[in-house]
Amino acid sequence: MRTDASVHAVPIPEGLLEPALTVGKVTPGSLDDQVLAFPETKPPKQWYLALAVTLTALGIGLACIGYTFTTGIGAWGNSSPVFWAFDIINFVFWVGIGHAGTLISAILFLFRKRWRNAIARFAEAMTIFAVMCAVIFPLIHVGRPWLAYWLFPYPNERALWTNFRSPLLWDVFAVNTYFSVSLMFWYLGLIPDIASMRDRTTSKLRKTIYTVLALGWRGAASHWQHYEKAYLLLAGLATGLVLSVHSVVSFDFATSVVPGWHMTIFPPYFVAGAIFAGFSMVVIVLVVVRETMQLKNLITMRHLDVMNKVILAMSCIMGYSYMMEGFTAWYSMNEYLHHGFMNIITGTYGWAGWITISCNIFIPQLLWFKKCRSSYFWMILVAIGVTIGMWFERFVIIVISLHQDYLPSAWRIYKPTMVDFGILLGTFGLFFTLVLIFARVLPVIATTEVKAILPDAQPSHGGSHE
Amino acid sequence: MSDKKAYAVLGLFETPDALMHAIPKLRAAKLGTVEAYTPYPIHGIDDALGLRRSPLGGMVLVMGVLGALTAFGFQYWISAIDYPIITGGKSAASWEAFIPIMFEVTVLFATFTAGLGMLLLLNRLPFFGHPVLSAKAMKGITRDRYALALEAESEAFDSAAAAQALEAAGAVDIEVLPAPDRSPFLTSDYILRTLGGIFVACLVAGLGIYSLIKWFPLLAPMKYMQDQPRLNAQKASNFFKDGHGMQPPVPGTVARGYLPTATGTQDASATLVNPLPRTKEVFAQGRKVYTNRCEVCHGALANGAGSLTAAYGAKPANLQAQQFRDYPDGKIYWAIVNGKNAMPAHAAYLTEPQRWAVVHYVRALQRAQNATDEDLKVVAP
Repeated sequence: MRTDASVHAVPIPEGLLEPALTVGKVTPGSLDDQVLAFPETKPPKQWYLALAVTLTALGIGLACIGYTFTTGIGAWGNSSPVFWAFDIINFVFWVGIGHAGTLISAILFLFRKRWRNAIARFAEAMTIFAVMCAVIFPLIHVGRPWLAYWLFPYPNERALWTNFRSPLLWDVFAVNTYFSVSLMFWYLGLIPDIASMRDRTTSKLRKTIYTVLALGWRGAASHWQHYEKAYLLLAGLATGLVLSVHSVVSFDFATSVVPGWHMTIFPPYFVAGAIFAGFSMVVIVLVVVRETMQLKNLITMRHLDVMNKVILAMSCIMGYSYMMEGFTAWYSMNEYLHHGFMNIITGTYGWAGWITISCNIFIPQLLWFKKCRSSYFWMILVAIGVTIGMWFERFVIIVISLHQDYLPSAWRIYKPTMVDFGILLGTFGLFFTLVLIFARVLPVIATTEVKAILPDAQPSHGGSHE
Repeated sequence: MSDKKAYAVLGLFETPDALMHAIPKLRAAKLGTVEAYTPYPIHGIDDALGLRRSPLGGMVLVMGVLGALTAFGFQYWISAIDYPIITGGKSAASWEAFIPIMFEVTVLFATFTAGLGMLLLLNRLPFFGHPVLSAKAMKGITRDRYALALEAESEAFDSAAAAQALEAAGAVDIEVLPAPDRSPFLTSDYILRTLGGIFVACLVAGLGIYSLIKWFPLLAPMKYMQDQPRLNAQKASNFFKDGHGMQPPVPGTVARGYLPTATGTQDASATLVNPLPRTKEVFAQGRKVYTNRCEVCHGALANGAGSLTAAYGAKPANLQAQQFRDYPDGKIYWAIVNGKNAMPAHAAYLTEPQRWAVVHYVRALQRAQNATDEDLKVVAP
């Protein structure tokens, strides 16, 4: 296989060469036949089985949401002083999951990490689905969700305006912008791929749908020029969003005076946590996709290896953040902060604190070993551990901080109800249902982007200015 | 040359190298505009084709700045001018809190400019009628073939010469694309049907939204806040045995300050002593309560000739009668608290001082109606 070395006068030693992005011989044509063929074939039995499971979970979630609507928020475990519980935990959790997609598609694009091309599409799709799961919670936790549009500042007959000094309103803007930008980014990337599918499908119905969705894309050089520029600009804009969305979510906590929330470390700590959780979810899904859809030559072990290294790095940042929380509590000499921190490791919910610390800090240390980074068993173990750990981290932040604050007479133990668990299960159902459907109807790999980085894909005289 | 007008001549190439080598040759031939169609962006093709730099960056910058200014202006106007509410002790115009939303709106404006500006303005998409889309070569172009088109610039376009030039440059499959059929588009019939369609769509959408807004909030969970069952004072109720919505207090109910101090018999109360001094204020208070509560039956002069007496045939006590003038204060007080004969108890709505003030006032009325010479003597100051 030819590499970039061929254009250099002095051959680069084998060990310094960037490893190949794909395994075996992949040509643009074979890539299309491999990736774009999925939507044209009948799904296997296992797919229907998986869909049945996720739809069941989704159904349970919808039933619980319906019950909440007709009964009221009292169906949940939330009660004074823990007014924020599962609703906000799950919201923060799902928004965090979404961050991996934007990081892969935007930041790694700006860094010219060409390996991201093969996994960017799936990760972006997961971003969109995760944000969809996330927005359910603020909507249903307002109590009267049919009036949720009151969150937006619009001229109304009540002559009221929203409070622009409230981080909760910043959240409305941040999450909506995030969703719009992610959707735009995803769709722009899909257009050339959908055009490919349009031109290869034989089914009339599919052809009609793809024709409309491809917007008449014809691959003209003058179009590609603007397209590439737009993609680059969107990557730059989305990069700012990766850093801002979870920062704004963290402001919901950090700008309040609750001990355990009021800390300047929150924004970077939340962003790192989001990328951490998101990458773990991407690893879980990618392993399944890679195995079941026979994409081993495109999503290589190197992809998973690099992803695992990112998870390890994020784990270390999380460890630092947890230590800083402890340090802040100690160094502030503030008895409330001190009490709040001790609650995490020794309080009623101490077990949750230790689940968080073990799953997020201790278990991912396995990834220092190359054997664990290249073994499905260990990487899935770590990834599931991180997903659980990051959910519990939000539980720790929200419930432990709220259940005991300044006023001891108001302290109370929080207990979630079955409805709380049902809605959480339902969002997992929604997420994986969307993932399953996406895998069957749209190209799971950005074929256009992968084609552009295949060997011989670019004219040789121009040299490599990737 | 074919009898039909050609839009362009399209030639396919197998590799990007072949494509890049052919471009300068075809541009030099000057037979028409050279355009390339490729499955993915090819490095260096912009320069080879002589394309101008994309203006998208400038557009995005302008719209991004506009987004920031819009968000700032909007928030400033609302928070400082239209609806100034002090939050967190900050001045209404403190701008620092506006930054997160300014950032988000900047990104939002910039994103939509980049995405939609690229698609709609620069690339003129969606457009489903382009001749290349119906070319046989399209299947290859979105897969793994690279095409060059010589597009007609004028009537003088010679498709045969263009095909020859493409072949000389190394193209394998050469295809002449006919110009799209441009029959008159904006006929009056078409315009009428379009306008009619828009009108019907607006009508349906408007009626739909109107009825939705009217009907939707009245559905089950939504109306719970409006729908709060309660009993109005004068309404009937099946809940209580007597069918009245308004119920008297449970016997023995005592409100704060309304303590009944005369619980025994009237005779037993005779020994009670009026605790209030006979001051102007006390008499004024007694007169007020008497006018409100007693006068309709007992009359302004306490002679039992109130305005309700004749109408209802009631016979309230004539307080000027000797029997009542001989009553000790305590017995009058007892009658006010517990009621007597047809007279209801007034304990529930007269406070302790009010009751005694009325007793003083009744005494004053009795004395005024039965004045003696003694009463006319002016007491020396």
